Amino acid sequence: MMNDKDKEFYGKFADRIEALKEDIESKISQMSLSVTGTEEERSVEHILGRIKNSESIKEKLKRKNLPTEVEAALVNLSDVIGFRCVTHFVGNVYALSTLIENEKTWEVVEVKDYIASPKENGYRSLHIIIAVPFDDEFIKYVRVEIQLRTIAMDCWAALEHEMRYKKDIDNTKLISSELKRCADEMASTDLSMQTIKDMIRGEF
Amino acid sequence: MKLLYAEDEKALSMAVAEILKMEGFDVDAVYSGDEAYNSICNGTYDGIILDIMMPGMSGLEVLEKIRGEGNYTPVILLTAKTQVDDRINGLSKGADDYLAKPFDLGELVARVNAMIRRTIKYGKPSMQIGNITLDRDNNKMVSPFGALALSSKEVDLLEHLINVKEEGSSSQDIMQHLWPEEEDGATAVLYLTYLKNKLKQLRADIVIRKKNDIFYIASIEDSI
Repeated sequence: MMNDKDKEFYGKFADRIEALKEDIESKISQMSLSVTGTEEERSVEHILGRIKNSESIKEKLKRKNLPTEVEAALVNLSDVIGFRCVTHFVGNVYALSTLIENEKTWEVVEVKDYIASPKENGYRSLHIIIAVPFDDEFIKYVRVEIQLRTIAMDCWAALEHEMRYKKDIDNTKLISSELKRCADEMASTDLSMQTIKDMIRGEF
Repeated sequence: MKLLYAEDEKALSMAVAEILKMEGFDVDAVYSGDEAYNSICNGTYDGIILDIMMPGMSGLEVLEKIRGEGNYTPVILLTAKTQVDDRINGLSKGADDYLAKPFDLGELVARVNAMIRRTIKYGKPSMQIGNITLDRDNNKMVSPFGALALSSKEVDLLEHLINVKEEGSSSQDIMQHLWPEEEDGATAVLYLTYLKNKLKQLRADIVIRKKNDIFYIASIEDSI
């Protein structure tokens, strides 16, 4: 639920945005079940949805030289509503992404595959931006960002985030290069685990 | 620094080993090619000095065998002064240097030092195949699209496949080469699949193919 400050910022859109988030979340969660098959064998570890807080929105709008109002955010930003789906295996990421891309109620705007092309620092995830119909006279669609990654990638991203937002670290250079090394090792292990899983299931 | 010194003339061996020890090296002296090969298989050396003419396996045969098994420890060959063929043969089979007999002990020490210095400084050279670089110093596979860390066995396997070129290698050969103590070929198949999936992830322009139980690296464009 939004706090008062965010409620004030989102104003008359607040309820609709909450409802939209709930709606998408239940769709993705349905999809994640069909990727997995059974409840016991859950391969989607968790789905996290959030509505961007007003502080970060205003900051982002300022950076882009846009008016710091909710309409500007809904029209220009693609992560007012954002989701993160964390899976066990790399294969799950792609299976889930296929379902998201095939969903008829929204349209895929962009897919950025940072697993196939990791960022310079080692960051890996699959980002999908979708355009979802929005119930408003002037704003017909809002863009929503869905990030898909494995547990290993998620764990890495959490640590990298911590480093980036901690101001006074002495060994930034050492830590960055070690993080990069870990990213390459974890990605490799992710693929090895997928391979072993396929071998167990006789899907070689 | 640990050296293996293979020389069948015992008197010479003792003198040389003594000098090398005085220079601070730890020296294992052996007197035949077979002993040399066994010691190399069972130990780790920073450098190897091999006489060519020895009973049993010759120095050249030992060299060829260990290089074939992916052992890149630096080797100095001791050759007869007149045998140019031996020197050419030795260098092309993977020796790092040679010294013609009779040699000056000071020169041998200097060459051993130079050889080890080079290894430490340059490490193992990277191998290139298609758009993939195998960084053997850091156990990494790198493409223009990213990098993946590899286990040492994966590095050895890729190195082996690069070395055998289009001739390829059967799963039996691979097992013998990398997992001699294991019996069935499942490990080879699993590791080949690791590599296949990792090459694909890095969008490599090479693939590992299989034809009549022979695995080989092919360019991705070549039709199957």
